[in-house]
Amino acid sequence: MKLKYGLWAGCILTAGLAAQAAMAETVRIAEHRQARIDALNAVIPGIEEATGIDIELVEYPGPDREYVSKLLTELAAGTGPDIFSLPAMSQVIDFSTAGYLVDVTDEVKNWDGYDQLYDVAKELVTSDDGSIFAMPKLLSVQQLYFRRDVLEDAGISTEQPKNWDELIQWAIDAKAKTGQYSLMLPMGITWGGGAFNEGFGHLLTGSSTPQIVMDDGKLNLTSDGVLEVFGFYEQLVKNDLLPIDPLLGPEPWVIPKYEMFPAGELLVTTCGSWCYIYDWGPNSSNPIPDVTEAVGTWAVPNREDGEHVIVSLGHPWSINAATFDVDAAKKVLMAMGSVDLMVSYAEHEGGLPARRDVLDDPEFLKLTPLVPLMDDIEKGVWLKNAPGFTAVSEGVARATEGLLLGNVDAAGAQQILVDYVTDTLGADQVQ
Amino acid sequence: MSAKFERAEIWRNRFLILPSMLLLATFVIYPACFAVYTSLTNESLTGPAALNPRFVGLDNYTKLFTDGNFWRSLAITFWFVLFSAIIGQLVLGLASAMLLRRRFALRPLVNAVILMPNAVPEVVAAMMWASMLASGEYGTLNNIVAWFGVEPQRWLTSFPLTMIIVVNIWRGIGFAMILMTSGLSSISEELYEAARMDGANPRQVFRRITLPLLVPTLFLYLLVSTVSTIAIFGLVFALTRGGPAGATELIGIYIYNQSFNAYQLGYGSAVAVVVLTFSLFIGMLYVRALKVDV
Repeated sequence: MKLKYGLWAGCILTAGLAAQAAMAETVRIAEHRQARIDALNAVIPGIEEATGIDIELVEYPGPDREYVSKLLTELAAGTGPDIFSLPAMSQVIDFSTAGYLVDVTDEVKNWDGYDQLYDVAKELVTSDDGSIFAMPKLLSVQQLYFRRDVLEDAGISTEQPKNWDELIQWAIDAKAKTGQYSLMLPMGITWGGGAFNEGFGHLLTGSSTPQIVMDDGKLNLTSDGVLEVFGFYEQLVKNDLLPIDPLLGPEPWVIPKYEMFPAGELLVTTCGSWCYIYDWGPNSSNPIPDVTEAVGTWAVPNREDGEHVIVSLGHPWSINAATFDVDAAKKVLMAMGSVDLMVSYAEHEGGLPARRDVLDDPEFLKLTPLVPLMDDIEKGVWLKNAPGFTAVSEGVARATEGLLLGNVDAAGAQQILVDYVTDTLGADQVQ
Repeated sequence: MSAKFERAEIWRNRFLILPSMLLLATFVIYPACFAVYTSLTNESLTGPAALNPRFVGLDNYTKLFTDGNFWRSLAITFWFVLFSAIIGQLVLGLASAMLLRRRFALRPLVNAVILMPNAVPEVVAAMMWASMLASGEYGTLNNIVAWFGVEPQRWLTSFPLTMIIVVNIWRGIGFAMILMTSGLSSISEELYEAARMDGANPRQVFRRITLPLLVPTLFLYLLVSTVSTIAIFGLVFALTRGGPAGATELIGIYIYNQSFNAYQLGYGSAVAVVVLTFSLFIGMLYVRALKVDV
């Protein structure tokens, strides 16, 4: 009888260990939005071959806001995927201070691809204390995109505006001449992080106080620069330069970006390199023919004379601190810094690879709209991040919604931002 | 009946309700108690407070009572419940039930039209209404009113609360009608016959017979619809996300925004606990004060 129990126990133990071993060699990666899912699917066989580890791709909800909420609830519960991307570096900082991410400083710095990363990618991915919690994937270079063909047909200048006043005046004149909306920056709550990442940040970096985060880590939201940016938005709304109704809808990007701009009913908008591929390029559901000719780019003018482009990290990869097999996840993460993966994402989504050596890759060189934009990477400027920056992003969305509705002026919008961030983070984090 | 048999019956009954009690304890009572505990901490979904939440006593409740956005959200919820559940759905549900007691040619079709909104998932319903109420030339409703010479409106921007009330009435009439139909069918025909023989007109019949005998059903409906409308989330969130500028931020959306956009789980839980207390109070008011058998 004892032998029988012994055999049963042995079988159960063996099965348990086998199951554990099988689980240990499978790494679950979360990805969202179809273009990114397709990009990752295309390179998974290569990652599996390079690491000897099985990959399971888990599809998450599309909009960034819902994606992050779902991830957060899972991570807070100690579950979730082994590897996932986060939409912005501010989220990497907020997640790492919550203890959700594995510190991969040594792995990334000793990784053979590290030297190939653009300096800006290295700088953006490294925290103030020198630690790294994410693997860079794509960089986004953002600026103003204008309908060159429509403007030239109407006899309107396409020369780079030198400062904010010139840009606003140009937009007023262009609207008067064409009758079309002339300048749109993402605004409002439903655009989520876009109101900050694709609009507010562009202007703030050209204002008289180009950073929010102070040397002591506190957030300076009462600066002149913040007020100047809201003043710029106020002029956009007052002069009816942007389509207000669609911006207040549940999916505010759809009508202006995917319908009005391709139809020539919107003349200028902020965007990144992805617009040449995903929004209006070959992967678009509403493509603009010969997009790189029809659509030109301007750097974002500063308030006073000067101009800049914004560079940021797009969806870097991180490892869940509660992952079952950290070593396997790290191995996969390093493999996910490959040229193949970055080129696949560039091809499907339109971001710019964070490695220099993609310029030697024949597949990347085929992406002709993106190749010239690689020169802008090292010229870019960026906003310094700090813990709690996500709250600033939400505060900006609320403040710009107030402006869209005409409920507040620039000073009122700034007050909405200050109040929201102070309520959310506490007065001790706000200057 | 012997005392032994009675004891056995009592134990058997307790045993029979044990599975329900276990489910209730696991999925309702435990989460509610945990929310009370969380509301006494500064727990967050991100940042240092996620790593090491602290006990903060009643700080969240103190903050809540001075938070203008909370009171605004509560006021919005009050008007939403009053006009959509208590007035709109009840009146139209009762009218529909009385209409459908009569026999007429299109009765099955009208019945189906009223019940159809209940068969549509709420997110699908919200998307449908988003298209219907879209601003400018893109909105179906704007295209309809244009036939009558009305300028295109920003329905969800200019009249956001009114619009979500209309949408919720549309969605809830079916349930109200079903409950009212069952209430009406329990009223004996003999009473109506007697009233008619005594010369009562339709208005008198409604006021003196139908309405008094329907009171238990009405209050049962009010109990269910009030509590479920306070907790409504998906339909309005998918339609407006609480906007514009918080104009449709019902209390359920406010809790979601505090917990999952501002990441303040402790504060969000405090709001949820207060709302739970409100709901319990309202429920007790209906059940106890009005002596309705549920």
